[in-house]
Amino acid sequence: MRAIYLIARREYLSYVATWGFWLSLASMPMFMALGFGLPILIENSQPTRYYVLIDESGGTLEAAIEAQRAATQAAQAELTREAATQMLGDSPAVEAAIANAPAPAEKYIRVDPGATDIESLRPYLLGEQDVETEDGPQPLFAAIYLRQDVTGGIEIEYWSTNLTDGELRSDIRRTLSEYMQLNRLLESGVSPELVAAAGELRPTVRELNPERSAEAAEVTTAERLPIIVAIAVAFGLWIVIFSVVNMLLTAMIEEKGNKVLEMMLASSRHHEILTGKLLGVAGVSTTLLLVWGGLAATVGLTLQQLPIAAGIPLGEIMAAVLDPGLIFPAIGYFIIGYLMYGAIFLAIGSLCETLQDAQTLMSPMMLIMMVPLFLVMVAADAPDSPIIVIASWVPLWTPFIMLARLPQDPALFDILGTTVVMVATAAAVIWGAGVMFRMGALNQANQDTVKGWFRIGGKGKAG
Amino acid sequence: MSEIILSLEGVSKTFNGKPAVSDLSFDVKRGEITGFLGPNGAGKSTSLRMALGILTPDSGEVSLFGGRPRASALERVGFLPEERGLYRKMKAIDVIIFFARLKGVEVAEARRRGLAMLEEFGLADVADSKVKTLSKGMAQKIQIISTLIHNPEFIILDEPFSGLDPVNQKALELIVRARADAGATILFSTHVMEHAERLCDQIILVARGRKVFDGTVEQALGHVPRRVVLETVSDQDLTQVFAPLGEIAEASEGANEARQWVINLARGVDAQDVLKTCVDGNIKLLRFEPARAHLHDAFVHLVETSGQFASETLEGEAV
Repeated sequence: MRAIYLIARREYLSYVATWGFWLSLASMPMFMALGFGLPILIENSQPTRYYVLIDESGGTLEAAIEAQRAATQAAQAELTREAATQMLGDSPAVEAAIANAPAPAEKYIRVDPGATDIESLRPYLLGEQDVETEDGPQPLFAAIYLRQDVTGGIEIEYWSTNLTDGELRSDIRRTLSEYMQLNRLLESGVSPELVAAAGELRPTVRELNPERSAEAAEVTTAERLPIIVAIAVAFGLWIVIFSVVNMLLTAMIEEKGNKVLEMMLASSRHHEILTGKLLGVAGVSTTLLLVWGGLAATVGLTLQQLPIAAGIPLGEIMAAVLDPGLIFPAIGYFIIGYLMYGAIFLAIGSLCETLQDAQTLMSPMMLIMMVPLFLVMVAADAPDSPIIVIASWVPLWTPFIMLARLPQDPALFDILGTTVVMVATAAAVIWGAGVMFRMGALNQANQDTVKGWFRIGGKGKAG
Repeated sequence: MSEIILSLEGVSKTFNGKPAVSDLSFDVKRGEITGFLGPNGAGKSTSLRMALGILTPDSGEVSLFGGRPRASALERVGFLPEERGLYRKMKAIDVIIFFARLKGVEVAEARRRGLAMLEEFGLADVADSKVKTLSKGMAQKIQIISTLIHNPEFIILDEPFSGLDPVNQKALELIVRARADAGATILFSTHVMEHAERLCDQIILVARGRKVFDGTVEQALGHVPRRVVLETVSDQDLTQVFAPLGEIAEASEGANEARQWVINLARGVDAQDVLKTCVDGNIKLLRFEPARAHLHDAFVHLVETSGQFASETLEGEAV
């Protein structure tokens, strides 16, 4: 036990002392921050566009567009006010602050350069001349001509050198499309009130679970959370296992290259080295999980009002994550999955002198590891699909797929059966990895030995 | 009778159908320095690995401290493997402490001993340097310290002199001798006979996985004929004169009508007999040089006569 502890401790400290560990530690919150922040950053970093709108119909189309723009701004302001009062409370001071808050910056601003024909506007559009704006001279983004014929048909002529930013064009087209539809209805004698009322019409959908009595049959959004959370946990499990087994592999190859293994074998036994290494790296992954979990909990508690305002049911998500029906199987699947993959990658590492040597053996393992990533997605929608049921019996995939299936009440036979097969396989894999490790550590086998096992019609030849 | 620390009895090991060790038996007695000699690929490392339980023999029995080589017995053993390496990113003192702790030494004691041994080896100033920054010779010394840090009563060194310069080879010989004087039992493998000749109380010669000799250095040397080199000036047919003394291995013309002779002395004949024959025969001697046999000669002779030396050389191919 002392040897296992010392080896595990050395492994743990050697990882924690590396830049790679701290990068891994920082990567998750960094990617999450990027995931949330990048779209906002992109949105805010876009330049303000200046455009010219020329309504050749006499002003009705322009008025329709302006009215729509004002309505949109008012709706956005109302949303902001609601969110602010939810976060900060409903008080006169908050109301005053909202009223005095500067209007959000507009992305598209209409300007008047004093010219209306396209030939006069062309130099502005081509960037040869700037238009005068409140922000100083600026290039002209677009010139839009609106025309209406006698039948009510509308033509939008959109001039711009920018072919990719089509938001302004789409906004105007949508606004005028609604305007045309409304006009047609009004001309047909439909009252404006009726049109407005018709626009609000929505069917009511009730989702019911036939397994329950009529009163309790209603399926709520909260009930779907465990499924989503289970899939998220399955993905998390995959990411953690994938990260740490790669650490094991590279460390093992490095150790083999350093020729330190025989020295270790003179002080401890194969199984102690194998177990110590697995435990050491398990400690690393546990540290990662604890730090990430702690960070998530801290951020969640600090900003708990934010998810509520954004409509995120944080409490329900936490309840789903901490549900014993999910958390205990998740811990069990993590341990078994880690042991299986960890032992395999350690054995591969012990057979190879360099990462290049390991590539040949790694490729099939990577393919095997990638499969559950896709199947978990399928399991979310079709947990009873024959492919998913069969795949969950493949021991190397069981930890991920069964975890995703658990909230959807799979058959007890499936749960028990896959667990038994997985545990038995894990034991066999660890035993086999021990044998491979013993051979690899003393150079009695290498990657060619494994390749030899799969050579058609040929006997394996040891290196 | 000395206590037997290590005993191999009829041990064999085969890798992929190729025998690495065949029916090998030998004992290592407490307090002795035993040399385990043989060409490269003779099965020395495999035998040492089996002695420590790192490898399991296909047949035969291994006894270490009177029992099977269990993990608990390893704490009493210091093993320096042939393939040497250390954790390159660790500090020298931390590596030493790590291996000491694996052998059951408390951390404070391991640090104290480690620093003292670094001082003794002239490496005190690199105690806090990472192994990867050390020279090969320094790293090898760190490994030797790691092997000896727990004061093992049985020290096994697999090709300990390889990779060391002559100065460090001499230093290692002194360390081995000092440990033996302090009561440690030492078994070391080598294919360089000079070290064994200087250090060993007992030698075991192996070739192609089989033992070809087991005894003292003197006993081994007794297997090779002693030689005398002569340079004579004489009108007589000296071939007839020297024939009773042994086998004339070489006879060649020298300068100024002199002849050179190399005589492999027959059993029971010594250099004094040759000198007496020359004096009695009134043979003018320009050179008289009794040549001492070396373990190298004994080894070559023993291996050749055992039939295990078909195509190998001392520096020969690996099995």
